[in-house]
Amino acid sequence: MTDIAQAGPQPGAAGRPPGESAERPARAVPGQPDMWVLVLFEALVFTAYLAVYLFHRSAHSELFLRSQADLSPWLGTLDTLLLLTSSLFMLRCVQASRAGAFRAAMSQAFITALLGTAFLASKITEWALLVHGGHGFTSNEFFTYYFFLTGIHLLHLLIGFITIGVIICQLRRRERRSQEIVETCATYWHTVDLLWVLIFSLLYVVR
Amino acid sequence: MSTTAAGPATPPGPPAGSRLGRVAWHWRNNPKRELWFAWYTTVIFYNIFFIVFFPVTHAQPPPHPYWSDAQVAYWFNHNHDGLLIGLAIIFAIAGMTVAQNALIAYSMRRMSVSRAFGYSYIVMYSLSAVPGLLLLCVVLSVGAMRPGRDPAQVHWLYDFAFLSYIGTMGIFLLGSLVWMLAILLDKNRVLPKWFGYLNLCNALTEVVVAPAWIFHQGVLDWNGLISWWVNMVVFGVYTGAFIMLLRTMIQREDFGDGPLPDLRKDDRAKASALAGTPR
Amino acid sequence: MNARPKSRPLITWLILSAITLAYLALDRSVDNHGTYRASSVVTTIAILLALVKARYIFREFMQVRNAPALLRRLTDLWVLLIGAALLGSYFTGLAIH
Repeated sequence: MTDIAQAGPQPGAAGRPPGESAERPARAVPGQPDMWVLVLFEALVFTAYLAVYLFHRSAHSELFLRSQADLSPWLGTLDTLLLLTSSLFMLRCVQASRAGAFRAAMSQAFITALLGTAFLASKITEWALLVHGGHGFTSNEFFTYYFFLTGIHLLHLLIGFITIGVIICQLRRRERRSQEIVETCATYWHTVDLLWVLIFSLLYVVR
Repeated sequence: MSTTAAGPATPPGPPAGSRLGRVAWHWRNNPKRELWFAWYTTVIFYNIFFIVFFPVTHAQPPPHPYWSDAQVAYWFNHNHDGLLIGLAIIFAIAGMTVAQNALIAYSMRRMSVSRAFGYSYIVMYSLSAVPGLLLLCVVLSVGAMRPGRDPAQVHWLYDFAFLSYIGTMGIFLLGSLVWMLAILLDKNRVLPKWFGYLNLCNALTEVVVAPAWIFHQGVLDWNGLISWWVNMVVFGVYTGAFIMLLRTMIQREDFGDGPLPDLRKDDRAKASALAGTPR
Repeated sequence: MNARPKSRPLITWLILSAITLAYLALDRSVDNHGTYRASSVVTTIAILLALVKARYIFREFMQVRNAPALLRRLTDLWVLLIGAALLGSYFTGLAIH
């Protein structure tokens, strides 16, 4: 991967004791500004999907409510907590990397991946349970939306694993390690969390 | 690190005078004429494509998958002339899509990445034109050709046409990923990284279209609110972006091997005139 | 929030988790022993809380708090846009159907 020039003042990797606060001294875009184009664009696209879902929900509220009752709010809550925690560790990873504590950053990255994997396992389990209970992609309108939204989100999560892989590769290098790439990938991972927060509230919580 | 531009020495500039005279000068002397030719071909193609597919043939937005035989037969009869004339135009100009593929592959050739990227893209997108454009045109023409045909047969042609057009997105998906990877790995700054990421958004929309094979109605069918309308917005933004970025790329092109120079303000003014001058 | 920088991420996580758990109470307040009932109030609150979470994620996890003004304003605008789209489509749907 290219060693791209930093977007702002050099982070405190040199001369800053590891473990100390790794706040940036001046305002800088986290990671490549380009990644924000993806973040904001995907947020809009998902909002469009969710708006369509909400609009059609009110047309068939009886059916949607009945079907929604077959979802487990506990699993949904667990999923959200898993991703929120993974974001916490991802942030810690970025801060550790910025402070020069690369071993710590690598552990944080691995934990992030682990939590993401737990989410993946939870989702697949939930899907399996639903299908086993007779609710599939084509069962009714609610479940079409459910499987579509969680499916496309899961695809984003899988891409997120690739970005964590890129972070780990960057952290392992001794020369030409790019903090910007680490932060760019982290920005993507948080987007996966952000999208899930929206999906969760609209599939599991709204009435 | 940029090698000196390998373009031929260019005469000072187009003579002042008629527009036609200036165009003729560029055609004879501008070292980027092939690139500009490809770019203008792309723009013209998309304009004709839009006019033919939307108001002329009414093939876009696609009509409903859940129609009965009678409704489908009515659609063909109602659009008989539009379909046959419009699609005949498409058959005549379909070769113009080659220019777009070539220009995109050229962008990858100019990048610091392996040439395999550009070549794969050309192969993929050339093949994808068959189910992704031509089949639809052939089958809809066949359907419109004989108005007295059995409605059940016509319905079969209708399903075949629209499913092949909307459903065969795998190649577009992979092509977008190839271009994305090339852009993200490129050190020559040919295209901005944000466009690389936009390729990912475009690739994901191809996945969103896949349920069109399963659903005959609702938001995920072949003309659904999600599978077609939202997707079209994404595709429109993506296409508009790459047309503008390819234009900027041509303006910046210095025929070297290193990073493309940035477009300076004064260059924008004389970009199409002296774009081939070595810096 | 003027917490020491080191505990900021943890506090953010606690707030976000608390909101997530609060959702369970929100739903419980309107559900009738496992039978779900429609409620605009619950839906609106759920969407607004999701927007609050989204802004926290932008500001704290994605570090927009330390970003230039343009990005801060852009992400705030995005939260507003998302909110308008979701609430707009929900209430329009209700009005029409």
